Amino acid sequence: MDISSSLLVVALAALIHASFQLSLSVLTMLSGHAIGAKHSQARVLRLTTSFVAGVALMTILLLAFISLVLVDVFGHDIPLLMWATAAGLLFGVGVAVWLFYYRKSVGTSLWIPRSVATYLSDRTKATKQSAEAFGLGVSSVLGELLFIIAPMTISALVLIQLPAMWQLIGIGIYAVISLSSIVIVWVLIGGGHKLSAIQKWRESNKHFLQFAGGSGLIILGFYVYVMQVISSSVGGI
Amino acid sequence: MGLAIDIIKRDGGRKSEKFSDEKLHASIVAACLSVRTPIGQAEAIAHAVTQSVISWLETKPEVTSHDIRRITVKHLHTHHPDAAYIYEQHRITI
Repeated sequence: MDISSSLLVVALAALIHASFQLSLSVLTMLSGHAIGAKHSQARVLRLTTSFVAGVALMTILLLAFISLVLVDVFGHDIPLLMWATAAGLLFGVGVAVWLFYYRKSVGTSLWIPRSVATYLSDRTKATKQSAEAFGLGVSSVLGELLFIIAPMTISALVLIQLPAMWQLIGIGIYAVISLSSIVIVWVLIGGGHKLSAIQKWRESNKHFLQFAGGSGLIILGFYVYVMQVISSSVGGI
Repeated sequence: MGLAIDIIKRDGGRKSEKFSDEKLHASIVAACLSVRTPIGQAEAIAHAVTQSVISWLETKPEVTSHDIRRITVKHLHTHHPDAAYIYEQHRITI
């Protein structure tokens, strides 16, 4: 895969990551609690900024960590079986997102373990300091690991084949695109928009986001399978 | 001040607790503020809704926290639909 194709795969994977909603839900709740507790707008902004910083740092660290593990295990020459496994992971998570991402009820409850949801909800309510908000951002990324593992793994596989400078650029592209949705909500909250309008938009578009996220994963899985597995097999013959 | 009414918690496992109008009032104010309602209006709405919920509660020896939430949303919706929406969404956002 050449550099531009690799970066396009990373960009698509990041876009799929951006469609996942746990961090957005936590940010919405954090803002609601902070505004409802009569904190000043400056303090609300400090808390939400720290939260977004926590999400950004954990996203970058996770992608770098997965890349490091893959380099350590396979080097820069990825075996065909690993590409096939990664494509299978994308298909599997894609179908799971189609079927299970949201719970079958009103609201934006996600299909994550209820203990994780309760923990994040309780921590959101208890968050008063910027450092706590930063930790909450880190935790919310870990909470949706079940879903983001697929786009992150494929991005890591693609990135470790690139020259070092392009790897850094690729990680930057992934971080910027995957954080775009949360940054938009952060800007809206900072600009004084009503949380009800943001939450109503999220709720009314949740099935579209679910379909788009799942479809994106399946399309990416198909592309990776064709480009890396089938083309290599045919080339080998 | 609390009415002598037991509130059965949502998960069933936790102990029931006495109804607290202050707690209800504070949660309604928070919901109103979170949709950028001025503090004076938020307090007035919370007072009116809390009184309506207390009137509803007076005939009942025990209720669930879900019942309280449902009735609060119903009354809050007549005063401030956006705040009622956020109040209702609180448990079902994550």
